Amino acid sequence: MYPRPFEYVRAETVDEATEALASAGGEARAIAGGQSLVPMMSLGLASPDVLVDIGPLPLAGSERANGSLALGALTRHRELERSDELAEQVPLAAEAARYIGNPRVRNRGTLGGSLSHADPASELGAVALAYGGEVVIAGAEGERRVAIDDFFEGFFATAVGSGELLTRVELELPPPGTGHGFCEIANRADDFATAAAAVLVTVHDGGACAEARLALAGVADRPLRCEPAERLCRGETLEGEVLDAIARAVVETAEPEDDAFVSADYRGRAAAVCAIRALGDAARRAREGQE
Amino acid sequence: MTVRFTLNGEPQRCEVPPHWTLLRMLRDAAGHTDAKHGCGEGVCGACAVFLDGIAVNSCSVLAPQVEGATVETVGGLDRDGDLHPLQAELVASGGVQCGFCTPGMVISGIEAVRLGAAGSEAEIRHSLAGNLCRCTGYGKIVAAVGAYRDGEATGVDGDGVRTTDGAPGAAPAPEVGIGP
Amino acid sequence: MSGVEVKPGRRVVGSDLARHDAIEKVAGRTVYAADFALPGMLHARLKRSDYAHAKLTRVDTTAAEALDGVVAVYTAADVPRNTVWVDVPGQTLEVGALKARSNVLADGVVRYHGEPIALVAAESDDAALAALDAIEVDYEPLPVVDDAERALDPEAPQIHESGNLLAHWELEEGDAEAGIASAAAVVEDEYRTQFIDHAYLEPEAGVSWRDTDGVITIRAATQVVEHFRDVARILDLPDNKVRLITPYVGGGFGGKEDMTVEPYLGIVVALTGRPARMVWSRQESLQARQNRHAVRMRYRTGADADGRLVAMDVDILSDGGAYALLSALVLLYSTTCAAGPYRCPNVRIRARTVYTNHTPCSAMRGFGGMQVALGYEGQMDRLAAELGVDPLELRRRNFVERGDTLPIGQPLETTVELPALIEAVTERLEPPPEPSAPRRAVGRGFACNLQPYGRCVWLNDWSSAWIGFELDGTLVIRIAVPDIGGGQASSLIQIASEVLGVAPERITIHIGDSALNPLTGTTTATRQLYMSGNAVLKAARDLREQLAGVAAELLEVEPEQVEFGAEGVSVAGGERSLEFRELLAACASVDVSWHVHATYRAPKGVPWQADESWRGRVFPDFTYGCHAADVEVDLDSGQTRVLRYVAGHDVGQTINPQSVEGQIEGGVAMGLGYALSERLVFDEAQNLTGSFAQYLIPTAVEVPEIDTVVLESGEGMGPFNARGIGEPPIGPPAPAVAAAIRDAIGARLTELPFTPERVAAAVRAREEDADAEG
Ligand code: FES
Ligand code: FES
Repeated sequence: MYPRPFEYVRAETVDEATEALASAGGEARAIAGGQSLVPMMSLGLASPDVLVDIGPLPLAGSERANGSLALGALTRHRELERSDELAEQVPLAAEAARYIGNPRVRNRGTLGGSLSHADPASELGAVALAYGGEVVIAGAEGERRVAIDDFFEGFFATAVGSGELLTRVELELPPPGTGHGFCEIANRADDFATAAAAVLVTVHDGGACAEARLALAGVADRPLRCEPAERLCRGETLEGEVLDAIARAVVETAEPEDDAFVSADYRGRAAAVCAIRALGDAARRAREGQE
Repeated sequence: MTVRFTLNGEPQRCEVPPHWTLLRMLRDAAGHTDAKHGCGEGVCGACAVFLDGIAVNSCSVLAPQVEGATVETVGGLDRDGDLHPLQAELVASGGVQCGFCTPGMVISGIEAVRLGAAGSEAEIRHSLAGNLCRCTGYGKIVAAVGAYRDGEATGVDGDGVRTTDGAPGAAPAPEVGIGP
Repeated sequence: MSGVEVKPGRRVVGSDLARHDAIEKVAGRTVYAADFALPGMLHARLKRSDYAHAKLTRVDTTAAEALDGVVAVYTAADVPRNTVWVDVPGQTLEVGALKARSNVLADGVVRYHGEPIALVAAESDDAALAALDAIEVDYEPLPVVDDAERALDPEAPQIHESGNLLAHWELEEGDAEAGIASAAAVVEDEYRTQFIDHAYLEPEAGVSWRDTDGVITIRAATQVVEHFRDVARILDLPDNKVRLITPYVGGGFGGKEDMTVEPYLGIVVALTGRPARMVWSRQESLQARQNRHAVRMRYRTGADADGRLVAMDVDILSDGGAYALLSALVLLYSTTCAAGPYRCPNVRIRARTVYTNHTPCSAMRGFGGMQVALGYEGQMDRLAAELGVDPLELRRRNFVERGDTLPIGQPLETTVELPALIEAVTERLEPPPEPSAPRRAVGRGFACNLQPYGRCVWLNDWSSAWIGFELDGTLVIRIAVPDIGGGQASSLIQIASEVLGVAPERITIHIGDSALNPLTGTTTATRQLYMSGNAVLKAARDLREQLAGVAAELLEVEPEQVEFGAEGVSVAGGERSLEFRELLAACASVDVSWHVHATYRAPKGVPWQADESWRGRVFPDFTYGCHAADVEVDLDSGQTRVLRYVAGHDVGQTINPQSVEGQIEGGVAMGLGYALSERLVFDEAQNLTGSFAQYLIPTAVEVPEIDTVVLESGEGMGPFNARGIGEPPIGPPAPAVAAAIRDAIGARLTELPFTPERVAAAVRAREEDADAEG
């Protein structure tokens, strides 16, 4: 129906925001693009007492340093999707962004909002895990850093504590010779992912896989990295029988649950299909990049 | 609270509680009912409007987030009684049946062409995927967006039909969201 | 493109006239039901049941009533007469077996999740929402029935005192068992269809006020302005004290055929004296409004060695949900259409619909005539495979023809152009494309159907219209037709313009008002173009005759020689002419009026009897179709993409080609959603599909380019021999896609929707079988 009443605070600085979040009586949420939060409030799935609008904060923009790319929390999905510069630096993020919601959701939705919301089917959650790196979280005590691998804690739960705000994401940039792949299976365009896989593959001169990062969405209570599959990739050309082993590893790592619309079994299988296809694309691109 | 913004070129001042969405403010405070409430959850696109030149689902924006912004709805697109060329295409192609999805389709179609995301039929379909229509089967709407794009490309401007894509009071269409 | 051309001698019928309402809509100016506001209006909302079946042990509204801004909270006891009767909307004949009742507000028991319990009226919508939270309801849960088969178990909990069997139709022509025994090939299968929602973009909405002379006036999105009588009955008022107006409606598809907001708007204005508005959320609309019946069908079909059908045994069981609404009639459509457009000497049909605790089911585009297409077409494909005959050839050998009779006794009086449709559709097809990638498979499928248009003939259906000139020569049509998006109003303008010559832009049509327009019946059952079109045609012709008489005297010719043009009348190609203004003045001087009111009456039939031996005509006529689908299946993910779709129908005569194409394309898109993605999911009768993010109607990406084939046989019962086309296109997509998937993967799916998960499972089973064999 409609969001229920709440107290609205407009923050102009990060300190103001964290202070407002910390001092609120009752549940406080930060709102940026609001593309997950407002619909959830309309559906009665969230009804915070206080909303802190962080839209005015200077948290957009990107910066490259020390082999990583720092992206402000207010980076919009549309920027990831459409900026040539970002597509050059983090092509996996650019490709995955196209699968988020619909064009208008991407126009307003933000990277920080998406990661903090931590929908288990989040494309960008899987992308962040595939790159690895750190997130920067601001709070009363100043800033702290959390490895992306430790960021997602469970069903809509992250390392961001109460009174804290995710301000920046620092994605580790893979070495040259890396290709990316993203594959998603959904029941309809613009539907949540039944399963998705985000993949980075780095190849040797000979074309075999030196390093692989593989993360999944939709198959657990949180976006999930699949290290057993990554290990299987190393040293392989990613063809033939190893793919069956990788697919099995994905199915075994996934922790899907039955819901009213999709069975756990199918989600696991779908994740394996996505993983294999994304790996194939990533390896192909990596090799093409080397030629 | 008071929210001040520009609506179709005119200054607006609405007294609304902060939990109202932009859609609700437009319809129930500003008296503009051209954006439609189809789902209220950001899925159907019937509520699409331009916010500072960028298409948004107005049901997923809170009223206070609009303070100082420029909002354009489908009702503000015609000029001196002439329909916007995409509006005219939709009428001519039979792309309007019940019409409830139409305001949102117009906004999305204009943005898709503006962003260069309407190059092929497949691209148009992807650009419109967040606008649900239950009546038409989409074909005539997709065709209308294609025809509008072609008119844009060739710069045809005859018989008082506008080919610009802005709206009254709008700044020139911004490059959407490419960071600072 | 249809390739339809305006026939020689016609001016606007058959042409792509831009719809007058489209211009208003595209500019955002159309005032839909929820766009209307009245000074001082209250906001009304419904408290709905959290349980699918429970006793209400306590409904306490005190806290809610005490809230700021809350004006009233009503429960069952406050409603003057708390029963909603569903006869057959707008009709005068009461058909006993079709009577159905439900409650305006739950009375002691709730029987489905979302059933209205209390009605809130408040000064603001926020106050109304707060009141919903403050209403205290104690439930004593009752055992639920969430399976149609189980509902018939004598041990099952009874949902109504009358038992769980809601309605049944049974008939046998010839001897089905003997026919099956004699058949050279017999195929048998079970088909299942799901509950779906109409999912029009405009949720249910309306406003109400007390108008002059105490008339309760309701302006709401509805397909049936004749519901004013039902509201009157609920309010215990005379019929002429309630008026229902419907603005342009944002989609109906049968979902606005039963009442939605109307009774509640009536109650608030009647009890408070203040205007009110009620708008349902998408979530309420999905969760608690009636939907399409889920049906289980068992078919046994036998053919001789030449592929001619010799017997059919059909058992249909449909889940009607918690209240009867229109279920009995929906089932009659299934019964009538169960054998498809095929000739068969020995047919047994048993059709039953039962009560469960699911959301009540009722009308939806195709109305029982469409689910069975999955069954009868699935059987034809199986038989073809069994006999090694081309599926289209098998159909050709069995199509009904003019002069045949359907098993229920329905005579077919107009031409059946199915062979021509097959030919035309096949011509449009290109060779199937190659798969786009490894592990993809491409397939093609066909399906044919028949779907009635117009009401059951024993309902004495009629439509009336008023047409008159204004003194400046412009024309006015008055007719209470609800326009739900199909161009119902603009087609009538086109018909009047054709007969009277007045240019369409000089015609204004006033629609959808039960008090100020002649009644014309419901926008349902694919009857508006047929019925209202005939009424307007008759009115226009009567008016023309009246005016031609006067003009003939003035112009000194015979009335037949008077030609009607855009500005007036003339003779001999314009040699002498009169502007309409002049002609009207002349009419006044000789006491001839320049307006008429005309009524069109549909053919009549022998009323249906609750008796298995009853046979007879059920419907005026049918529309036939043939569709073809090319699909590509992803063998790993099970995703099915429709690559190309061709849909052909014989529409008799096109009034507006764009509108006809629009109906076909929209119907196909809806049918593809039915085939592939849409379903309401219940868990122990709790409706879990409460959002548009979960209820997946197709987007522009899923719907392919649809090629329409519009055949004009020149035979039909509508104006200019048109046939109805609103519902017919919804039938073939599911069976056509089923056949295409079968062609692609070699496995047959019989349960809708064909989700990626189901298709993937079918592929896997097939590949495992192949492995086992190989
Ligand atoms: S009403 Fe906003 S997206 Fe549907
Ligand atoms: S025209 Fe009715 S929803 Fe699109």
